Amino acid sequence: MAGSFEPNIVGFLCNWCSYAAADQAGSNKLEIPATLTTIRVMCSSRVNPVLLVAAYLRGADGVLVAGCHPGDCHYQTGNYNARRRFALLRGILDVLELDPARFRLSWISASEGKRYSEVTKEFSSHIAGLGPNPLRTRPFIE
Amino acid sequence: MGKIGLYLCECGPNIAEAIDLDRITAEIKKDAKVAGIERFKLLCSEDGKRFVTESIKERGYERVVIAACSPKQHQATFEQVVANAGLNAHVFQMVNIREQCAWATPDKEQATSKALRFIRAAIGRVRYHWPLEQKEIECSPDTIVIGGGTAGIEAALRIAQKGRKVFLLEKDEPGGTRRDREWMAARVDALRNNPLIEVYEHCKIRELLGFFGSFVAHLETREGNEVQLKAGSVVLATGAVAFDPTGLAGYGYRELEGVSTVREFEKAASDASDGHPKSVAVIHCVGREKLGYCSGTCCVEAMRVARRVKEASAETEVTEFYRDLCLPGTEHDRFYHETAKTGVRFVRFRDIDVAREGPGLVVRYRQEDGSSGSVVADAVVLSAGVAAGPANAEFARMFNIPLDEHGFFQSEHPVLNPVGTVTEGVFVVGGCRGPAGALDATAQAGAAAGKVLSALVPGRRLRLETRTSEVAEALCVGCGICVAACAYGAATLNEDRHIAVVNEVLCRGCGNCAAACPSGAAQHRQFTTRQMDQEVTQILR
Amino acid sequence: MADQTTDVLVIGAGLAGVEASLVLANAGRKVYLVERQAYFGGNVIKSEEVFPNLECATCMIAPKQSDVIENQNVELLTLTEVKDVRGEAGAFGVTLLRRARYVSLENCIGCAACFEPCPVTAANEFEEGLSQRKAIYVACAGALPNAPAIAMGECLRSKGEECTACRDACMFDAINYEDKDEEREVKVGAIVVATGYRLSGAGLPDRLENVYNAFEFERLRASNGPTEGEIRTRDGKKPKSVALIHCAGRREKGYCSQVCCRYLAKFARYAFDKLEGVEVHEFIQEVSVPGKDSQRFLETALEKGVKLVRTKAVPGISANGSGVRIEFQANGKSESDEVDMAVLAPAIEPGSGAAALAELLGIETDGFGFFRTAGSEPATATRPGVFIAGCNSGPKDMQTVVIQAEAAAAGVLKMNHKDTETGPGEETQERPAGSGDG
Repeated sequence: MAGSFEPNIVGFLCNWCSYAAADQAGSNKLEIPATLTTIRVMCSSRVNPVLLVAAYLRGADGVLVAGCHPGDCHYQTGNYNARRRFALLRGILDVLELDPARFRLSWISASEGKRYSEVTKEFSSHIAGLGPNPLRTRPFIE
Repeated sequence: MGKIGLYLCECGPNIAEAIDLDRITAEIKKDAKVAGIERFKLLCSEDGKRFVTESIKERGYERVVIAACSPKQHQATFEQVVANAGLNAHVFQMVNIREQCAWATPDKEQATSKALRFIRAAIGRVRYHWPLEQKEIECSPDTIVIGGGTAGIEAALRIAQKGRKVFLLEKDEPGGTRRDREWMAARVDALRNNPLIEVYEHCKIRELLGFFGSFVAHLETREGNEVQLKAGSVVLATGAVAFDPTGLAGYGYRELEGVSTVREFEKAASDASDGHPKSVAVIHCVGREKLGYCSGTCCVEAMRVARRVKEASAETEVTEFYRDLCLPGTEHDRFYHETAKTGVRFVRFRDIDVAREGPGLVVRYRQEDGSSGSVVADAVVLSAGVAAGPANAEFARMFNIPLDEHGFFQSEHPVLNPVGTVTEGVFVVGGCRGPAGALDATAQAGAAAGKVLSALVPGRRLRLETRTSEVAEALCVGCGICVAACAYGAATLNEDRHIAVVNEVLCRGCGNCAAACPSGAAQHRQFTTRQMDQEVTQILR
Repeated sequence: MADQTTDVLVIGAGLAGVEASLVLANAGRKVYLVERQAYFGGNVIKSEEVFPNLECATCMIAPKQSDVIENQNVELLTLTEVKDVRGEAGAFGVTLLRRARYVSLENCIGCAACFEPCPVTAANEFEEGLSQRKAIYVACAGALPNAPAIAMGECLRSKGEECTACRDACMFDAINYEDKDEEREVKVGAIVVATGYRLSGAGLPDRLENVYNAFEFERLRASNGPTEGEIRTRDGKKPKSVALIHCAGRREKGYCSQVCCRYLAKFARYAFDKLEGVEVHEFIQEVSVPGKDSQRFLETALEKGVKLVRTKAVPGISANGSGVRIEFQANGKSESDEVDMAVLAPAIEPGSGAAALAELLGIETDGFGFFRTAGSEPATATRPGVFIAGCNSGPKDMQTVVIQAEAAAAGVLKMNHKDTETGPGEETQERPAGSGDG
């Protein structure tokens, strides 16, 4: 891996599942990448793709959204809504000429602390490989 | 925006040794956005909590950020602490720099930088917090029970007590499908004699409106009067129907004389006074393929038939044809063994066919190992399962409750809320919820009673969730997207003003509508776009 | 009449006890929720995934557990048992015995620094002996309350040594060797007994190397378990074949334990999920899957390729090297099967101490030792003011446990504490076995 590029990754975790998993990872002293700073929401369905676009425009190298496994959503079907909304996001990332791999949607249950650690480490390492978000240096509109 | 106080918890060595709190203090001071930075060894201790409350008052903080362990550990604790200082609990934001930072980041410098991002995000956010009101509304402690079968009657009897009324609405007479059982008469009596229960028999429900705490039912009584009933909760107990074997190939129901359902057979047996059949075949699992589930009661019912026949006439040959024996409860293995001891023959079958043979019937069967056989019978009794009742669809629509693939009402969650539904205040019990024996129906009725008695207390107002959604009228275009997004029916369209309205009694605070709203009219209190955007901005600066 | 009170005692903080407590607390009642283990959540938290949606059991119950901890009306008392009960409905006097934890729940922040230095190891009971723990320990990762306890019987201090390893490691002054068992008197108007179940040893073969009971297999599959969710034989290998044995102990006990057909289907799915190419052989006598979701659940498991064998009786199980030999009768022939691992579904019986507790409470048990409900009441014991919830009154699935717990709470709430002549059976009638359930 070239250079010492430390990505800045924003994560959105749902209160009931993935946030608890992240806590469990920490409680078990498993590593969570320092590159990832998280925002707690009540449900993954709260995350509006527009907010994520804003994140990319502001220079986020990667964005992670983690919610409950399909069928386990605390609010019945919220995570299904989330999944459909983020399908939209791919198209927008195309327009911004951003690699779609800069966005990750993951289903992580509260007891999967180890998996949270693994998923976030893998994502961070992948983003580091992609390099900085080009929008940091290239203006979006010429 | 108000003076912001930042509290840093050392959590003993847990945070203090993993994160350079001095650097954090210096950097935050430079940001010049907070009025004060307080550091403490263990904020969740009695001393710590007192310190926070006192210092908020002394220094006049109007917004509070506490950087410590996970909000899942102590958010509730510190909300109380902030409230004790005279502030609204919601002008406070908790930052997790322990589980997701100190404990998970081995490099101290990296941990510190990450903590700084978390804390800055919280400070950016908390400037846009505002006090949220804990609303309370009046509610009715009364209950409407729809359906006067086993479940409905038991629910009514268990809910009725001083300070609450129960209105039981029944389209026929109370007693339901078990009306001919001996014990049901006593229950119906208890129902009718209870001064706190009003029974409306032979009534028609015209309309049912409202929501948790204030439902209104419009009905037409048997005499033709229009009645309006108000209640805080509704218990749906509309029952199930016996599976109808008409048309089911191989059983000859309604085609061959002598083939009957359990109910028909028992009725005929109690009416008849002449002689006993020489041979009876009882077939289990009738309709199971079509239904797609085991009803749980038919095997025992079928054995009950066998026992009654043997009691009436020990010489009668009885054969029980079954696929798998379902014997729930601790008593029924013994019941089965005793039944076998009375001379009842049990035959496991894979395929079965009932046909005419002379004046009587013949049951031909094939077993799992391929062997086959036949039994001649005067009477063939079909023990069939139960199916969802036709009334379910209408009530599902009325109450916004989903039906499962079999047509039964869906609970909100099979384990976490088995008799509740996504529509707050509406409960489903008994056969309308799934196949249920009398004991199951009674237990479910008891469960609904527990939920009702607990949620609605005479004289106590309903406290609503504070972090609900709200729709800004000025921005709303009435597109209805939020209505479709809401799993709880909390968002509705006001046709006159062509805007969406959120019912705060029903809103569970998930934020789905806020994300779905194209105009930004719907906002999720405490998780507004502005608040979350602040977090994003501060993380990325 | 002695001072009446509307406070409630709930004995047992598993799924039933937690649910009953929350319903009662939300109604405004003060609840003493006592639990004899150092953690709470009962047997539910042993499972990784549960029927019908195969969702994570601990995640599912976590919000209720948080609720119990945060609810002002619930006083959770772990390591506590009931020693004596006097009085009557509306005014019970109860003596509770709180066993020493030796760790302060106020000071401990759950940092786990005290485990490593402890020199003593012992079998971890929660993990069914599949892994070890220290003398100062928590049952498993994520156990609540988030604080350890010292099993003083194993601790070197009880053997006269002045070991202070754990206390030296604690930064929060949370360890207190002078802690003592303590009695406490409480007055309650009603009691809910929710003491749960255990797996019976009846009808089981003697300990065989790669034969597991249901709890052991659950712990193998658990993410926070001894193998972090990997299914392995005792010598650490991936089994290529797994046998699932139904009804172990049914004939001996004399009843069907209701939930095993479903959880063995779940185990089949565990095996297929975690072990690529595994063969699953299921040995069954009667398929019993009542309920609208159960058949579909079973079919989904079978579709993955379970080899289902209908046997005349429970197969004989014996060791074959490190593998397992299954001998059975099917289609009139004697046959045998060899597998790497076998999992048994034992009978469900009341938790240990049930008989003694029944006597203490003055309530009846049935011929199987389960607490008897009064008449056809779903959740009322045979003594006024005492209610029952959960598998201590008979095996049942989680859904039915919660329903019964809520019904027990209803029974409590319906008690007019000024009028305690209302007892069980007042509005109910006995419905004979096998007659009324249809």
